[in-house]
Amino acid sequence: MNTIKFLTFAILFAFTTISCNDDNDDNIATSELKVKTVSNLHALQESDYTTNPPTISGDYIKFSFSTGTTTTGEDWDIAFRGTTILVNSGTATAADQPARTGNAQLYIANETTFANVTEVDTSLFKSDDATNGLAIAVAPNNGWYSYSGEPYHRITSTSGKIIVIKTNDGHYAKMEIESYYKDKDASNSANPDNSISGAQYYTFKYVYQAENTTKF
Amino acid sequence: MSLNKNNKYTYLLIFFTIVINAQKNNINEKTAVLTQELEKVVVTATRTKKLISSVAMPVEIVSKKEIQQINAMRLNEVLEEQTGLITVPDYGGAAGVQMQGLDSQYTLILIDGVPLIGRIAGSLDINRISVGNIAQIEIVKGASSSLYGNDALGGVINIITEKPIRGTKVNMNYRGDSFNTHDFNSTIAIKKGDVSISAFINRYQNAGYDLNKTDDIKTIDPYVNHTFNTTIIYKINNKLRLNVSSRIYNQEQEYVPTANLKGKENANEWNNHLVLKYKENENFNGLFDFYITNYKTNSYLNNTDTNSLDSESYFDQLLVKPELRIVYKTKYHSEIVGGIGLNYETLDRTDFSTKPFFSAPYVFLQYDKVIGKRTNVILGARFDNHNKYKSQFSPKFAINYKANNHLNLKGSVGYGFKAPDFRQLYFDFTNNAVGYTVVGYNAVKTVIPRLEQQGQINNIIVPISSFDNKLNAENSLSINFGANFKASSLFSLSANVFKNNIKNLIDTRVIANKTNGQNVFSYYNIHDVYTQGIEINTTLKPSQQLKIKAGYQYLIAKDESVKQKFKNGNVFARDKNGSSFLLARNDYFGLFNRSKHMVNLKFYYNIPAWKLDTNLRTTYRSKYGISDTNDNGYLDKYDRFIKGYAIADFAINKNIAKHYKLGFGIDNITNFKDAQNISNIPGRIIYGKINIQF
Repeated sequence: MNTIKFLTFAILFAFTTISCNDDNDDNIATSELKVKTVSNLHALQESDYTTNPPTISGDYIKFSFSTGTTTTGEDWDIAFRGTTILVNSGTATAADQPARTGNAQLYIANETTFANVTEVDTSLFKSDDATNGLAIAVAPNNGWYSYSGEPYHRITSTSGKIIVIKTNDGHYAKMEIESYYKDKDASNSANPDNSISGAQYYTFKYVYQAENTTKF
Repeated sequence: MSLNKNNKYTYLLIFFTIVINAQKNNINEKTAVLTQELEKVVVTATRTKKLISSVAMPVEIVSKKEIQQINAMRLNEVLEEQTGLITVPDYGGAAGVQMQGLDSQYTLILIDGVPLIGRIAGSLDINRISVGNIAQIEIVKGASSSLYGNDALGGVINIITEKPIRGTKVNMNYRGDSFNTHDFNSTIAIKKGDVSISAFINRYQNAGYDLNKTDDIKTIDPYVNHTFNTTIIYKINNKLRLNVSSRIYNQEQEYVPTANLKGKENANEWNNHLVLKYKENENFNGLFDFYITNYKTNSYLNNTDTNSLDSESYFDQLLVKPELRIVYKTKYHSEIVGGIGLNYETLDRTDFSTKPFFSAPYVFLQYDKVIGKRTNVILGARFDNHNKYKSQFSPKFAINYKANNHLNLKGSVGYGFKAPDFRQLYFDFTNNAVGYTVVGYNAVKTVIPRLEQQGQINNIIVPISSFDNKLNAENSLSINFGANFKASSLFSLSANVFKNNIKNLIDTRVIANKTNGQNVFSYYNIHDVYTQGIEINTTLKPSQQLKIKAGYQYLIAKDESVKQKFKNGNVFARDKNGSSFLLARNDYFGLFNRSKHMVNLKFYYNIPAWKLDTNLRTTYRSKYGISDTNDNGYLDKYDRFIKGYAIADFAINKNIAKHYKLGFGIDNITNFKDAQNISNIPGRIIYGKINIQF
C-alpha cells in the first residue's frame, strides 16, 4: 500500500515538474499567468446581538490584484468583511462601507471550473449599487457561498463559482475562493466563537492577466 | 458487527448455504410434518377480513408471538427488524419509520384503524407505543389513500390491540436491562356474558445514554412514560355491538440541550374511540366510528448561569373524526365497502401566526369482486374535501390472481397524498441565535409586510403574489407487483417490485433577504422524487424446531430534477485543494438516509420438551449518506457516508411451571455504536425478563 502511495506520489511529482517545464518553454506570455494563492486573509467582522437590530462592525480588508496584496489606499479592487465582498465601483449599500472611488467590476461565472474560465464576458460586469444591492449578494446560496445550517453552521464557497474581475487598472483577473476558514480547516464550524471556529479567514487563488486581452 | 465488503459476502454465502442445506432437509422431513399453521387474517388492506395470501396488496403481519419471542418493549424495536423498514431519528430525536424508501412523514400510523397524531416536525415518534398489549401489527405497503386519505402515501401501519377472550386473564411483565431501562406492563382481561373489559398499564423508564462523553450533554436524556389503555366491549343484542376504548399516555423527559440550559419536556396524549357495530346478517353490516384524540407537549429551559427562564414552547393538537361505514356482500361474489366521514383538526403551537383548524369531509367506496375461481379485483376511490388546500381524489386498483395452490400473483396501482401540515402553512419562526426566519406558506402574506414595516427586509426574492394559489398536497402514484409462492408449510417465498412516483414534494426556499444578512424561508412545491426497488421475503421450516426467515430490499431513491442536473453537467464539488471540479452523471447517490441494500436473517429454534424457545436475528443496511458535507446541495459520492453495518440480537425464553416465563437476551451483541452519526443505537443491551400469567 505504502509503495503504491509512494509511486503515485513520485509519478505525480515528476508529471508536475515536467508540465511546468513545458509551460516555460512554450510561450512567454502565458507563463506570466501564474496561479497565485492568498492564504488566511483575515476579514474580521464582529456582531453584537445585545442590540436590536444587531450591531455589525469591523474594517473592510481591501485587496488589489495588480499588486497581489492588501491595501489601505484607493487602488483596491475588492474588499472583504465577514461573508461580505465589495467591489470598488458604484455606490455603497451601507454607511460603514468604504466609498467606491474606482472602476473595478466583477461577475460570478457559474457552473464552471477555474481552468475553464478562459475568456471574460465583458457584458456581465456589475458594480455595487445602493438600490440593487452588492455585485455579490450577501445571502447564502445567492452569492458566493453556501450555508449548511443546523447543526454545523458551515460556510462553504459554492463549488463551480468563479469570480471574474475587471481591475482598477483595466485588466482582468479570475479568482476562486477555496475556503472561509483558517488553514482551510472547517472542522470547528459549529462553534459560534469565531476564534475557535476559525471563520472569516479567506483563502483564494487567482490569476491576474497583465496583458491587454480578455483571455486567460 | 460493522461489516466490510469481504465480510458482507461471507455473510451472504453463509445465508445461501443454510438455505440450500435446509432445502435438503425438507425432502427428508416433509412427511413428518403434520401440523398446519392457521393462516393469518388481515383487515387493514381492504377494511374487511382477508386471508393474507388473498390480499392483492403487499402486506406483512407481525404476530404477538413474534413480539414476545424477541422481548420487545416499544414499537420501533419490532418494526426495525422487518424487511424494508428502518427507523430514522429526526432532529428532535423522534424515531420515525422509513417504508419503501419514503420518509416517516409519509406513513400513516393507526391504532385499531384510527390515526395517531402529534407529528411535531413531520415524523411520528413510534417509540411512544408500547407493544405490551398488541395482538398483531399489520403493515400495508404502497399508497393507500383510497381508504385512509391523508398521510397514507408510502403505506399504512395498523396496530391491532388485544381483545379479551373468554374468562379472566391476568398478565404481568417486567423487563430490566443493562442501560437501566425498566419496563413494567400488565393486562387484566375479563369476559363474562355479553360484556368484556380489559385494562392495560405500562410504565417505561429509560435512563437515557451518552455516546459522546467529551461534551457536556447526553445523547438521549432520561425519561419516564406511562400508558393506560382500557377497552369495553358490550354485546347489546345479536345485531348490535358497542366497543369503547380509551388510551392515556404521558411522558416526562429531562431536556438539557447545552451545558448551561436545563429544563423538562412533557407530552400528554389521550385517545377515545367508540365503535358501534351493526350486523344485519352475513351480507350486510354497518359501523359507526367516533374518534377523538389530543396530543400536547410543553417544554421549558432554564439558564443555569443566570437562574432565569430561557425559553418555553408548547404544542397542542386535537383531532375529531367521526366515520360511518357499511359493508355489503352481493349475491355475485362481490363486496362493497362505503364510508363517509370528517377530519376536524386544530393546532395551538408556539411560533404560529394563527390558531388554525382543518376541516375535511370525505367519502370513499370500494368494490371487491371475485371473478371466476382465481381472480380477485379491487376498485376503490376516496374524495377528500379540504378547507385549506386543494381537494384530493385518490383511486386504487388491485388484482390478485391465484395461479395454482402454491402461487399467487398480485398487482396494485394506487394514489396517495399528504396534505401540507400546519407547520408548512402557518409557521412564523425566527431563530434568535442566528437570525433567520421561517414562514408558513399561508402566513407569508401577513408576515412579510410586518417584517418590511419593521425594516427587517432588504429585498424580496419571491413576490408575495406568488402565494395566491393554495399549496398543493404532496402526492404519489405507487405501483406494486409481486408474487407469493408457498411450496408447503416448509418453504414460502414472496417478492414485490415497487415504484413510487412522488410529485409536488414540499421543500423550503429563500423568499427574501433580511437586513441582518440572513434569509426568510418559506415552503413550496418543487421536487419530483421516485423510489423503486424490490423486496423479497422467505420462510423456511427445515424441522419442527427450526424456523428461518430472511428478507432483502433493494432500493433506489432519487430526485428526478437533481438527476437531470448531474446529467447536464450542472453540479460541481471542491477537491482537497479547494478547486472546483465537475461531477459525473453517476456521482449522484440519491436521497439522504437511504441504503441500497437491506438484509435481515432470523433463526428461531424451539425445544418443546424443555418449553424453551430461542432466536438469533440480524439486520444489515448498506452505506448511506446523512449530510451534504461538500455543500453543493446534493448527496454525491464525495460526501461522507456512513458505512454499512449489521446489528445482531439474541433472545431465549423458558416457561417455568404453569404460570411463569423467564427471558434473557442480548440486543446488539457486537456492541455496534457510531457516536457521531447514529444517535439511536446505544450499544450492547443485556436484559432479563419475567412474565407471569394466569
